[in-house]
Amino acid sequence: MADAALNVIVLCGSLRKGSFNAALARQLPKLAPMNLRLAPAPPIDTIPLYNQDIQDAGNPPPVVDLTNAIRAADGMIIVSPEYNWSIPAPLKNAIDWVSKVKDQPFMGKPTALMSCAGGLLGGSRMQYHLRQSLTSVEATLLVRPEVFVTFAAKKFDDKLQLTDQATIDMVKAQLVAFEKFIRKAKG
Amino acid sequence: MADNVNVVSICGSLRKGSFNAALQRALPGFAPAGMSITAAPPWASFPVYNADDQNTTGFPAAVETLGAAIRAADGVIIVTPEYNYSIPGGLKNAIDWLSRLKDQPFANKPIAIQSATGGPMGGGRMQYHLRAAMVFLDAHVFNKPEIFVGMAQTKFDDKLELKDEATINFVKQQLAGFEKYVRKLTGK
Repeated sequence: MADAALNVIVLCGSLRKGSFNAALARQLPKLAPMNLRLAPAPPIDTIPLYNQDIQDAGNPPPVVDLTNAIRAADGMIIVSPEYNWSIPAPLKNAIDWVSKVKDQPFMGKPTALMSCAGGLLGGSRMQYHLRQSLTSVEATLLVRPEVFVTFAAKKFDDKLQLTDQATIDMVKAQLVAFEKFIRKAKG
Repeated sequence: MADNVNVVSICGSLRKGSFNAALQRALPGFAPAGMSITAAPPWASFPVYNADDQNTTGFPAAVETLGAAIRAADGVIIVTPEYNYSIPGGLKNAIDWLSRLKDQPFANKPIAIQSATGGPMGGGRMQYHLRAAMVFLDAHVFNKPEIFVGMAQTKFDDKLELKDEATINFVKQQLAGFEKYVRKLTGK
């Protein structure tokens, strides 16, 4: 008896066009197992900087859209760079808003993390900070395999296609594990 | 006679009733005699960081203004809440923009950190994330005493004046230590 397809949204922590993280996020559907349907999360670039006074008057539409998309998804993958040894502000700001929505949708949400970075640590400082934040909202975090794409410039071609085989294998392994993880979490 | 140490304070919250903003406002009253503390220009209007914006339209004026104020100051005090066990996104956005300025303003800058929260830990999870970001930016973060104002709603009155004596004493102690630290680092 075949498994039903799972819907996963992919949230990218970088806004720039030439982003390696955005490139990886775009390629995930091609690397994912058959029953994992990946779609990009609604955009975060128009979310205002968090202000509780604004939220008390009503959540801005992009916050509502992102909240609904997370809520509807069986799982979430965050693909993000590291800014200043921590979580990029656009991503953290989006998390801050959604975390304060009534019945916040991160609770119990199966979540996997990936990062691309220019250097040796591959975004790992950011990921451990992000794990801490996602613990605060009680996301259900996949532990391993971890995905740190180090020296990213060498692993994508000039069309921003991921070409490094070891990285491709690492990403596929996480996606396979993530599907199993989501099914186990759903029970 | 030594020169005054001029410090700017940056608040990590935007809401009107913020305990951290209240603490920020109270700091000049707790500063030692040789130190003045003024609020830094705001970051509320900074757009969400996008490197494409930086590379096309350049740095927003407000980013340049805050950067200049930090550069001109002898030290910076960051007074911030904790959002989701880490640095609030708005404050991190200010840091992310500022970090990209030529002549990055946090480099070699003495920094002190304070936080107030409604829960008991007073920002203890956030501050170590903020310290890490500041290390990357080559700032000099003041070590101890740390200022975690937990259960903030019991320590400020309904006019948002800080009333808790123990907290006031800790803050005064940190500010006095920070003045010495700034002088040591800047030679002032």
